[in-house]
Amino acid sequence: MAVSTPVLSIVVLIYLMIIFYLGWLGYKKTQQTEDYMVGGRKMHPYVLAISYGATFISTSAIVGFGGAAGALGMGLLWLAVMNIIVGIFLAFVIFGKKTRRIGLKLGAVTFPELLGRRYQSRFIQGFSGILIGLFMPLYAGIVLIGGARFVETTLNINYDVAVLILTVIVAAYVITGGIIAVMYTDALQGALMFLGMAVLLAFTYIKLGGVVEAHQALTNMAYLVPESLQAGGHLGWTAMPEFGSPIWWNLVSTLVLGVGIGVLAQPQLAVRFMTVNSDKALNRAVLVGGPFILMMTGVAFTVGALSNVYFFNNLDVISIVAAGGNTDLIIPQYINSAMPDVFVILFMLTLLAAAMSTMSSQFHTMGTAIGHDFYREYVKKGELGQAINVTKIAIPVTILVSVVLAYILPISIIATATAIFFGLCAASFLPMYTGALFWKRMTREGAIASMLVGAFSSLFWLLFVHAKEAVPFGLSQAIFGKATLLSGTWTVVDPIIIATPLAFLTAIIVSLLTKPVSQEHLEKCFGK
Amino acid sequence: MLGIDDPQIWLAYVLCFLSALGCIIYGALKWNDGEEEEGC
Repeated sequence: MAVSTPVLSIVVLIYLMIIFYLGWLGYKKTQQTEDYMVGGRKMHPYVLAISYGATFISTSAIVGFGGAAGALGMGLLWLAVMNIIVGIFLAFVIFGKKTRRIGLKLGAVTFPELLGRRYQSRFIQGFSGILIGLFMPLYAGIVLIGGARFVETTLNINYDVAVLILTVIVAAYVITGGIIAVMYTDALQGALMFLGMAVLLAFTYIKLGGVVEAHQALTNMAYLVPESLQAGGHLGWTAMPEFGSPIWWNLVSTLVLGVGIGVLAQPQLAVRFMTVNSDKALNRAVLVGGPFILMMTGVAFTVGALSNVYFFNNLDVISIVAAGGNTDLIIPQYINSAMPDVFVILFMLTLLAAAMSTMSSQFHTMGTAIGHDFYREYVKKGELGQAINVTKIAIPVTILVSVVLAYILPISIIATATAIFFGLCAASFLPMYTGALFWKRMTREGAIASMLVGAFSSLFWLLFVHAKEAVPFGLSQAIFGKATLLSGTWTVVDPIIIATPLAFLTAIIVSLLTKPVSQEHLEKCFGK
Repeated sequence: MLGIDDPQIWLAYVLCFLSALGCIIYGALKWNDGEEEEGC
């Protein structure tokens, strides 16, 4: 890397100083629990939109999924479409408004609490909290990997050191400043990300001779697809994989649907709808959120795929080869070799911002899930007890688990692990979240049943059927003597395709078979 | 179209822009809607 270290250090230092200032501002404005959890419910629409977008889009989306697009091609753009239509429009307009209103009526300050209070069940809140506390570190771990990998290649810092520095900085402002600090820093980080990705897109197209020319060059490279990928159904980087092939299933079921739908039931995102004071703020946020996501995932996937043209023109190899077989390194490699030094600095900040904005929300959500949802509401039945201390301890502990995961997870893992977490959230939470908002007939029993069926069927499918995880985990092999319980196409179908419909079905059947919720409670949730 | 032969891909490419545009239009049209909501 040719960027001079002093220049880079100064830029990073300035950036960190501003982040600390915003963190301090959050700390100053946090006086009550409600401030720490939902920003006193009076966040600005711009801050909401950018914070939501910046949390949604992490290094995982840019580095992990951008790299996946480098290997699989532009088919990933369907995920970008889903991100905008489902992740922004549907999320804000349909889910967001209801979430805000019901959250306010029930005085909920976290996503599990919203569900717990709507269904009058501490078990739902506690179980959701534990599920988040256990599995979100997996997602936080890979966001860390994405950020640290780039710091490693750009600054030439040891990877382990990069992980630690990144963690300590984010943890400091999350623990002290709560969600206000998280969202203020997100807003700045989001603006940086927008700028960085805009330059990346423009530069890539200019470098490759124009929009149509770049695409055409990529289309013409179809014959270069390695044999192993061809066998899996890869038909080129500007074509969808062969319908029904393993790569098609991976792309469509795991990446596009898993992440595209899973976003609706992400606790760290849903809680944001409760941080504003009117529907107006949500309407305005849509205007900012749509173009923001376009510039994030739309650009990352397009550039990821187009990096093949650059590497082929300059190094005579395709991206995955240039990155030494690790898809997680395609984007960092591309930035470092193709972009001018000034841009490398900007992009480093972009990624740092992307990683930090997502991590901060994850840390906040993991901590409150254990301290507030599990400990205070479930174990202590609502008594304050040691809740604040437990939350403060829970944040570093879950962070520690994330850091350990960041060290031990295998290569090319970023996109897959993100999809696992999103899929698990969709199966466990989406049916009862949807029911909580839109179906008054949905009962506590229906919610509990759907949550348990969703969580366990998703995990079961992951460990015993879906070959990508079941084979390396080896649990199926150890218990049943075969790598996966089912064979053929089943082994490439993502858990979300099986578990989410199953959980929805369970929710409907069990709800209809059990006693309806009392009119009194419904009025409390939905108003008269 | 756009140097991409597979309609499934260029459709996704175009839809990305259209859906973002849709968000802008929605936000602009509803800029002041929902104001009379109860604050707390």
